[in-house]
Amino acid sequence: MALLEVEDLRVAFGDTTAVDGVDFHVDQGRVTGLVGESGCGKSVTSLAVMGLLPRRGVTVSGTARFEGVDLLSLPRADMRRRRGSDLAMVFQDPLSSLNPVVQIGRQITEVLERHRGLRGEAARKEAEDLLDRVGIPDPRRRLGEYPHQLSGGMRQRVLIAIAVACAPRLLIADEPTTALDVTIQAQILELLKDLVDAEGTALLMITHDLGVVAGLCDEVNVLYSGRVVESASARDLFARPTHPYTVGLLGSIPRLDLPIDEPLEPIRGSIADVIRWKDGCAFAPRCDRVAEPCVDGEPPLIGTAHAHRCVMAEETV
Amino acid sequence: MTLAKIERLDRLVEAGVRARHAESGSLWRQSLRRMRRSPMAISGAIIVALFLLVAILGPWIAPYSPTAQTWGGEVFLNRNVFPGPRPENWFGLDHLGRDMFSRMIVGARQTMLVGVVATLIGFAAGALVGGLAAAAGTFGGRWGGRVEAVIMRAVDVALAIPMLLLALSVAALLGPSLSTVMIAVGVAQIPIFARLLRGSMLAQAHSDYVLAAVSLGVPKHRIVLSHIFPNSLGPVIVQATLVLATAIIEAAALSYLGLGNPDPGTPEWGTMLADAQRFLSSAPQLAIYPAVGIIITALGFTLLGEAMRESLDPRLRRQS
Amino acid sequence: MSTDIEQRTLLDVKDLEVHFPIRSGVVVERTVGHVRAVDGVSLTIDAGRTYGLVGESGCGKTTLGRAVLRLEEPTAGSVWLDSTDVTALRSERLRRFRSKMQMVFQDPLGSLNPRHNVEMLLAEPLKVHGVGSKAERRRLATETLDAVGLPVSVMERYPHEFSGGQRQRLGIARALMLRPDLIVCDEPVSALDVSIQAQVMNLLDELQGEFGLTYLVIAHDLAVVRHLSDRVGVMYLGKLVEEADSEAIYERPRHPYTKALLSAVPQPDPDIEAGRERIILKGDLPSPANPPSGCRFRTRCPWAQDVCAEEAPVWREAADGHKVACHFDF
Repeated sequence: MALLEVEDLRVAFGDTTAVDGVDFHVDQGRVTGLVGESGCGKSVTSLAVMGLLPRRGVTVSGTARFEGVDLLSLPRADMRRRRGSDLAMVFQDPLSSLNPVVQIGRQITEVLERHRGLRGEAARKEAEDLLDRVGIPDPRRRLGEYPHQLSGGMRQRVLIAIAVACAPRLLIADEPTTALDVTIQAQILELLKDLVDAEGTALLMITHDLGVVAGLCDEVNVLYSGRVVESASARDLFARPTHPYTVGLLGSIPRLDLPIDEPLEPIRGSIADVIRWKDGCAFAPRCDRVAEPCVDGEPPLIGTAHAHRCVMAEETV
Repeated sequence: MTLAKIERLDRLVEAGVRARHAESGSLWRQSLRRMRRSPMAISGAIIVALFLLVAILGPWIAPYSPTAQTWGGEVFLNRNVFPGPRPENWFGLDHLGRDMFSRMIVGARQTMLVGVVATLIGFAAGALVGGLAAAAGTFGGRWGGRVEAVIMRAVDVALAIPMLLLALSVAALLGPSLSTVMIAVGVAQIPIFARLLRGSMLAQAHSDYVLAAVSLGVPKHRIVLSHIFPNSLGPVIVQATLVLATAIIEAAALSYLGLGNPDPGTPEWGTMLADAQRFLSSAPQLAIYPAVGIIITALGFTLLGEAMRESLDPRLRRQS
Repeated sequence: MSTDIEQRTLLDVKDLEVHFPIRSGVVVERTVGHVRAVDGVSLTIDAGRTYGLVGESGCGKTTLGRAVLRLEEPTAGSVWLDSTDVTALRSERLRRFRSKMQMVFQDPLGSLNPRHNVEMLLAEPLKVHGVGSKAERRRLATETLDAVGLPVSVMERYPHEFSGGQRQRLGIARALMLRPDLIVCDEPVSALDVSIQAQVMNLLDELQGEFGLTYLVIAHDLAVVRHLSDRVGVMYLGKLVEEADSEAIYERPRHPYTKALLSAVPQPDPDIEAGRERIILKGDLPSPANPPSGCRFRTRCPWAQDVCAEEAPVWREAADGHKVACHFDF
C-alpha cells in the first residue's frame, strides 16, 4: 500500500480553482516528483496535504490518505501532532522559514521537545547530531547562531535538520534548491538523496526543474493547470514522454549534452491561454497536436504504470 | 484541423480571456474597482458623501437660521435647562435658544473647510519638502545629499514638537480666526507628509524601472517627475485621507481652545463643543451632538483611508 | 550566433574594477574596507556576437554588466564601446550616449513602470532622445512590438495585464526602441517559466540577426549561457577564471571551478544523472570584502596545493583562444 495516496484533490481560493482533481501516490522509501510551472498547483497541493492552507476562503475536497488515514478530514489538533513527526516540510525560502530572532539550536530543540519529549542536555546533544548529519561543520558553535549568520545553503541544511528531527516517514520538499546557487544546489540534492537512502524516508519533491527530477526522483507526476497530465517512473517519462506538455517542456530546456546549435522548441503561448478541464484539455490552446477530440469534454487519465491525459497520444506518436 | 474545432477552441479561450480582462486598466482604475467591493470603503464613502452633501447644502437644508434665537425666552426662563429633542427642534435648543439641528448642519461646512484646506496645505507643502529632499538625495550627488540631510533633520525637529503645541504656537502668532486654524493644523501636518513622501520616493528610486529609465537616458528631472513621483503617491494619498480625520478633530480642538473663528454668527462644531462645556452637567446633549458629528466624520474618512490603503497595497495587488 | 566574417571589436573592457566602500560608525561614518565586486576584469566582444558571463550569486557579474553601462561607477579601468570611452563620459554626453547601449532586466515586471502603458513605455526612450514626431514614434513602436512578437492591440495596456513572458518581450522591445549596438541582458530568462524561457531565448537569437545586435548575456544557468553565447567567461569572486569559445569551454573546461559548475548542473536525463560523477564543492563563497590570498578559488578547490595560497595564478592562454587563471593544467 502506498504511504500517501492523494485522490481527486481539489483546492479553490474563492472562485479561482488552483488544484482541479489531482491524483498521485507516494510509496515508502521512494522519491516522487510533482513537476510543473508556476500556477500549475504543485505547491498548493503540498500545502493542502500538510494542512497548511488557511481555512478562510479556501475550499478543499478529495482525500489524502496517509497510511490509510485521511489527512484532509483530521481535526486540526491531530494534524498538528502529525506535522513534524509523521510528515515534515522543507520550503523554498530558508530565510523566511526560520524565525530570525531565535537561535538555530533553540529552533531545533523546540521540535525535539514537542514531538519527542527530549529536554535540556539530551535535546541539545540530539540537535548537535542532527546538524552534523546534514553536513554543517562545527555544529556546537552553530547552535548558538541566528539564521542571518548562516549562508543560504547552510540555512537550507538547518531547515532539513528540523524537518528530519523526528524521523518523519514522509518529507515534502517544495522547491528546496530553487533559491540556491548551482554548486550549493548539488550539495543539498546530495544530502536529500543520502537521507532517503539511509532512513527509508519517502520524499515528495516539488520542483519546476526537470534536471532535478531526473537526478532525484523515482516516480514523476507532471502537473498542468491543476491536474496531473502525465505520471510514470522517471526513467520511463524521460525515455518516452507522451503528453505534449511534457514533450514541450523537454524541448524547451537547453541541454549541455546535446550539440550546441540544437534549436529549442518552445511551447507557444503562456499558461494564460487555457480552457477549463471540463470543457476539454487545458493544454489544447498551446498544443501543436490539437484536434477535434481535445475540446470534447474532460480528457481521462489513460494507462496505469505510465499514465497520461492526452486523447491524441495514440494516434500521433 | 477542422474549422469547427478551431472555433470551439477559440471560443473557450476567449471566454477565459474575457473573465481575466475584468481586471484590466491602469492601477488607479483597478484600485477603484477593488474599493467598490470593500464594505469598509463603501461605509466610509457613504459617511463622507453625506457629510460633504450637508456641508455644501447646509444653509439651504437647515430648517431654521442657525443664529436666530427664536426660542430665546423659553431658554432664559428655565435657566440652564434647555429643551431636548422635540418635534419642531429635532436636536433641541442651545443656551441662546437657537435650533441645534440647524447649527449642526450649517456648522458642517466650517468643519469640512478647515479639514480640507488644512490637509491640502499640509499635503502640498509636505510633498514639496519631501519631494525636494528625495530628489536631491537621489540625483543631486554629494551636494544633494547634504541638502537632503539638512531638510530631513529640520523635518525631524518639527516632528518632535507635539502637533497640538505646534498648531497652538502658529495660532498664537496669527491671532484667532478661521484661517489661523487652517494654517495651524496644516503646518502641523507638513513634516508627516514630507517624511512619508520622501520614504516612499526613496523606495521607488531603488526599483528596477528607475534603473531602466536611467539606462534609457531619461533626464533626471523627468525620472523624478514621471517615474518616481507618481508611483510614490499611493501611501501619501492614503495618509491625506487619514489626516483629514485628525485635522477635523484638531481644528475642533483649536476652536474649543478659543483660537477658532471668534464670530459667534458662524456655527462650527468645535466652537459649539466649547460653548457646551458650561452646561455639561445640565444639558450634556449640547456637547454630544457636535462630538458625535466630529467622531462620525473622522471615522468616515478613516474608513475610506484604510480601505484605500488596502486597495493600493502592492502585496494585495500581486495576488489578483 | 551570426556568421559575420567581419571581426570588429565592439566592446572592450579593460581592467575594470568596481569596489563598494563598507561604511561603519554611529555618528561619523568611516570607510572600513571595500567589497571588491569586480576586481580587474578585461574582456572584448566582437560586433554581432554574444558574450556569456556565468557565475554564482555574489561573483560580481551583475555589477560588471551595470558598470559597462555606467549604471555603477567603475573604480578603475575603462570601457570602450566602438571608439568611445564610456567611463570618461560626463553627464549630458553620457545621457545621449546611452542610446547606443541598452539593458534587459531579470524581473520583467519590476523593470516596467507600473503606471505607464505600453505606448508610453516604448515612446519614452525616443522622446527623451528627441527622435521623431509623435506619429513616427508610434510607428516605430508598432514595428518593434511586431519584432518581439506582440500585437499592436496591446498598445493601451499596462504591464500588470501581461504574462511573464510577454512582459519580458516588452522589456526587450523597449531596449530595442533606440536601435542600440549593445544590449546587456542580465538574467534575461531566469524569472520565467521553463516553457517561456525557450521562447525568449529564441527571440533574442532572432533579434540579433534582424537588428545586428551585440549581446552581453549575464546568467547563472550554464545551459542558458551555452545556448545563447559564442564566447563564455566564468567569473568567481570578482575575477574571470576562464574564458573560451562556447563550444570549447563546455567540451573541455580547464579551470576546476568551471568543472565543478558544469558537473553540478542537473540534466533532464536519468541515465546521465545516474552515471555522472559530481564534483561537490565544499563550503560557501568567501566574502568578496576579504578574498583568499593567492588563487581566490583555493578554499573550495578539490585540487588546491600550497602554491595556490601563495601566488595568484596568471591569466594565461592555455590553448588557442582559451584563457584560464589556474596554476595547473587539467
